[in-house]
Amino acid sequence: MSEVALQSRELRKTYLSKGAPAVRALAGVSLEVRRGERVALLGRNGAGKTTFLRIASTLLRPTSGSIQVFDVDVDRHPERVRPYIAVVPQEGKPFFHLTPREQVYTYLRARGLGRETAKARTEESLERMGLLESADRLAITLSGGQRQRTMVATVIATEAPLLFLDEPTIGMDPFARRSVWESLRELTRRGSTIVLTTHYLDEADALSQRLYIIERGQVLVSGTAEDLKRSVGGTLKVHLPEGARAIDAFRGFGSCVADGPGLTVIVAPERLGELMATAVGRGLTATVGPVTLEEAFLNVVGRSIDDD
Amino acid sequence: MTTSTADAPRPFRGTTAFLRTEALVQAHEELAMATSMVVQGVLLVFVWILNPGLIGVALLGAVLFSMFAMGQRVLNEAAYIRIDHKANELYLAGPLTAEGYFLGLSIGILVVYLAPVAVVGVLADLVVHLSLLEVGLLVILAAAVWLCAASIGYVLSTAFQDNRAIWAYASLFFNVFGVLPPVFYPLGLFPSGLRPIVLLMPPSAAAAILQTAIGAAHPTGGQLELAAVGLVVESAALFLFAVYWARRTARER
Repeated sequence: MSEVALQSRELRKTYLSKGAPAVRALAGVSLEVRRGERVALLGRNGAGKTTFLRIASTLLRPTSGSIQVFDVDVDRHPERVRPYIAVVPQEGKPFFHLTPREQVYTYLRARGLGRETAKARTEESLERMGLLESADRLAITLSGGQRQRTMVATVIATEAPLLFLDEPTIGMDPFARRSVWESLRELTRRGSTIVLTTHYLDEADALSQRLYIIERGQVLVSGTAEDLKRSVGGTLKVHLPEGARAIDAFRGFGSCVADGPGLTVIVAPERLGELMATAVGRGLTATVGPVTLEEAFLNVVGRSIDDD
Repeated sequence: MTTSTADAPRPFRGTTAFLRTEALVQAHEELAMATSMVVQGVLLVFVWILNPGLIGVALLGAVLFSMFAMGQRVLNEAAYIRIDHKANELYLAGPLTAEGYFLGLSIGILVVYLAPVAVVGVLADLVVHLSLLEVGLLVILAAAVWLCAASIGYVLSTAFQDNRAIWAYASLFFNVFGVLPPVFYPLGLFPSGLRPIVLLMPPSAAAAILQTAIGAAHPTGGQLELAAVGLVVESAALFLFAVYWARRTARER
């Protein structure tokens, strides 16, 4: 099997619909995911993440460009790609009139797995997702988080070589999210490759080995979460709740972002003392913390991931 | 393993497995099963009140209409699990073939809803006293009508983006073409000038053939041939088109 699980070159997609302006969803996305990697696609709503994932998973045809899964052209031979992939669709739901156990088992059978393997994988997957207690309740009676966990359990049970997960932990509580993260790490240890989209920057930070930030259908930046955080220009962020009015006094310390009356300054550790003295001199309070992906994202895109 | 030389999956791969999935889903909906024959039951009561002598024809018509109405279930289910659940994305981005998804879904619905139809078929036999040959003909005609209906239902399902629109239009199609033409009543009661039209509609074509076989209809001038050839061509063409359409719509453009 090829060492490159997924590769796209200048991938473009424009949606055309009668009576409406064309929408350019992808404007030349080139990226590469190596076998066994966990890669996150980050971006605001409408950035093109889901479009990319749908093209990669054979569900949508690109307008131009090329995309390959394990060296097989996705556009020309989707039927040859499909046995090697599995997808958690965005906002997908399990069958309401199946139990989680039935959902996972029948899905594995539909993918061609034998009875015993399907049964064993079903139990293992349900256990990983903490669904054993509710495994025999119809999905219609489950909470939103439990349904989402059922979807993830269904797909990770396939142990497919390449898994696409479109916002897999949406609606889950923090404990369930961590269970999913651990399961995905385990899957990559076993050799699967994972490409996921997420809105949760902490999830991308904790889970992905590399990430791509996508904005307006283009890759703006790629690298590890640490690379991105370093690119901000400091490793500490100082938040001054009333600092915006004194922004000029802090510009020399690093990048400054005003948000209403508040001010966030990215600063190198060696200049922290000096900055704090400046703040105290102006009667400002401050909190200090490590730079997170949120600042990196803001720095690269110029807007928060939650901005529409 | 080198994926670049992997063979394409064989046609209809996964049909049986997805059939089981869909049958299991449907089997959990007891209320829908219990109410699946309400329309047919009401129409049978009407016929019984208006002309008890036609109840045999009406019972046979109820069997054929029930098979045609399965198309509406296919339409509703295929659209619902695509729009609300994204089940098509979950299943089609995998080894299950698009035609296996269509056929598995359709047969899964059929096997669950077939039992009440069979009961009506037995009642029809008790009233009409069908020969073995006529029973065989009924089964073949019912299968042809189902194939047409399931194919139409699946193809139509891909046109909807909103479940609310389906509520409005799905029953319209299947009830108009299943109830209005001579399915529950003899072909002879339908205006002769319009008969070629209804003889090209799968449920009324099948009913005309069956009514002719039991002596309840006497089509003239090639009408029987029109119904028979039409039904064969329509079921084959609609099924092949549905397979083609299932493959085509497995990927959006």
